[in-house]
Amino acid sequence: MAEVILENICKTYGNSFRAIDRLNLSIEDGEFLILVGPSGCGKSTALRMIAGLEDITSGSLRIGGVDVVDMPPKDRDIAMVFQSYALYPHMTVFENIAFSMRLAGKPKAERKKRVDEIAKTLQLTSLLDSKPANLSGGQRQRVAMGRAMVREPAAFLMDEPLSNLDAKLRVQMRAEITSLQKQLGVTTIYVTHDQTEAMTMGDRVAVLKGGVLQQVDTPKRLYESPVNAFVAGFIGSPSMNLFEATLTGDELTAGTFAIRLQDAAFARRPSLKSYAGRKIVFGIRPEHLYDSSLDSGRKYQTLPAKVTSIEELGSEHIVHLNIDAVRVDSGDPDAVKDFGLASNAVAKFEPESAVRSGSEIRLALDDTKLHFFDPETHVAI
Amino acid sequence: MRKRHTTKDRLITVALHVALAAGLFFAAFPIYWMLTSSFKSNTEIFALPPTILPKAFTLEAYAAILGDPVKLRFFFNSYFVAFAVTVLTVLIALLAAYGFSRFNFRGKGSLNTLIISTQTIPPITLLIPFFGLVVSYRIFDTYTALILTYLVFTLPYAILLMTGYLNTLPRDLDEAVAVDGGTSWTALWRVIVPISLPGIVATSVYTFLLCWNEFLFALTLTKSTSMRTVPIGIQLLMGQHAFEWNQMMAMSVLGSLPLLLIYLIAQRFFLAGMTAGSVK
Repeated sequence: MAEVILENICKTYGNSFRAIDRLNLSIEDGEFLILVGPSGCGKSTALRMIAGLEDITSGSLRIGGVDVVDMPPKDRDIAMVFQSYALYPHMTVFENIAFSMRLAGKPKAERKKRVDEIAKTLQLTSLLDSKPANLSGGQRQRVAMGRAMVREPAAFLMDEPLSNLDAKLRVQMRAEITSLQKQLGVTTIYVTHDQTEAMTMGDRVAVLKGGVLQQVDTPKRLYESPVNAFVAGFIGSPSMNLFEATLTGDELTAGTFAIRLQDAAFARRPSLKSYAGRKIVFGIRPEHLYDSSLDSGRKYQTLPAKVTSIEELGSEHIVHLNIDAVRVDSGDPDAVKDFGLASNAVAKFEPESAVRSGSEIRLALDDTKLHFFDPETHVAI
Repeated sequence: MRKRHTTKDRLITVALHVALAAGLFFAAFPIYWMLTSSFKSNTEIFALPPTILPKAFTLEAYAAILGDPVKLRFFFNSYFVAFAVTVLTVLIALLAAYGFSRFNFRGKGSLNTLIISTQTIPPITLLIPFFGLVVSYRIFDTYTALILTYLVFTLPYAILLMTGYLNTLPRDLDEAVAVDGGTSWTALWRVIVPISLPGIVATSVYTFLLCWNEFLFALTLTKSTSMRTVPIGIQLLMGQHAFEWNQMMAMSVLGSLPLLLIYLIAQRFFLAGMTAGSVK
């Protein structure tokens, strides 16, 4: 077990494309850190650099206090779970798990003892003589975990280990990996593009975009206080609604409606006043928008909206709406999916909501949950 | 609903079968003729009209071949050369292909182009230069001459074949070995080679066949009877005064058998699925 410290890590490819730009991260001993971001944000590259599978162009990387920049993967005291699992197809489960011990020249009896222990933890005992081809996706995933655990490394590196599993199994394995990590207490760096995994598994989450670290914080703080519009849009599902408006006095005006802001909003953000008379970006999460005809929405101010479509999920309704305001792109390629052509906002209503597709409604909004961003830099105000 | 067969459909089917039968006859008759002639006496072979099946079944041709140490030597030579070339080709091609497939190095593209371009040169144009080279190296009429020359022809193709195969194997496997504490060398021998058996077998069979069947260079680069290979041995049976057709056919059958056996044994390795369960 050890802490992992990245200082000013850069990765530039031959064609001068900068995949990682001055990445600074400090992962504490035993911490579960999630690296998250959209496709191509550099999260896998960062993980591969920690593993030693990718050269570090500049910067320093210390694992357990040792500078490992020039060390090959085998000397870094890490273990990795690959997205594809990368099990050795010609070896049995036992041989797969024991392979690193065999390379290290550990005696047969010791190998057997250790593999048996791990197999028991991962419920693989009955499968030790099977080949990977005869295993299910979940079992292969466990073998990949076992292969990493057998090394008793200072740190676990996991590269989207659940992305090949079906939705149900993914939820189950998510819980298994989280509890296993707590049980083992090994520093873990986990890469995913799935923000639900990021929010539910990690002690802290590091959000990357275009090779640049945007924010690293606990899931709760990322959700509540995103540092910019990108993080705001990326964290949370469906994504936060972001719109352009003008701040006039204590009102946000956009199109044909205005939202009155309470004094507390200005008290919490002293610099908000400086945007008076100027354009501003405001954000509101779908779960903070309400059906004004229901009790839950009656206490909030409302604005006009047209329902374009509804997804009834049983426990809630995802309602796609059109409001008279210009939507702002957070820069998250995945967020675009949440908006149909006719809609520019999305809300989560209680299942009791009777709104119908095509109807004009009054949309209630909890103004204490508004987020504000600079229209130019998209930095949180 | 069952499809109705029209007269036209039937006619097409019949025509197709006739064409296939003609093709089969054209391909199989020489093999049939080789087999039956090997069991005939030389007199019966020269009989007119020719006999389709041997009238007097005899193994005298086989006895003449297998009882003659000179002719057995042809087989030994063919086996030895083909086996040595196959082993060397696979070893060298495997290492080269691993380099091409897994590493980036200066001149990789040009080297690849060079290897492909060697395939465009007709071997016969190199016969005289090779002869000169072999003589000047003082290896004329030796196994070394044949082995080195054959390697020149087998390696480019084998490297391309193996590189193509290794490119289909997930790189995650090499990286998993690296993280597990192994080197590239470990990855190659402990993981890549065992799962590359289909590629290795295909390369080996191709190489072995090429060496086994080779006539022109074996004829030019060897002189003494003790260094001749099976294809030259068959030709040597065409004497100045007598044509031992039955022995030639028997030797051809004996020469074809190893190839047939290799195909039968190697067949199961050609089946895909060696990497099943490795990734995803």
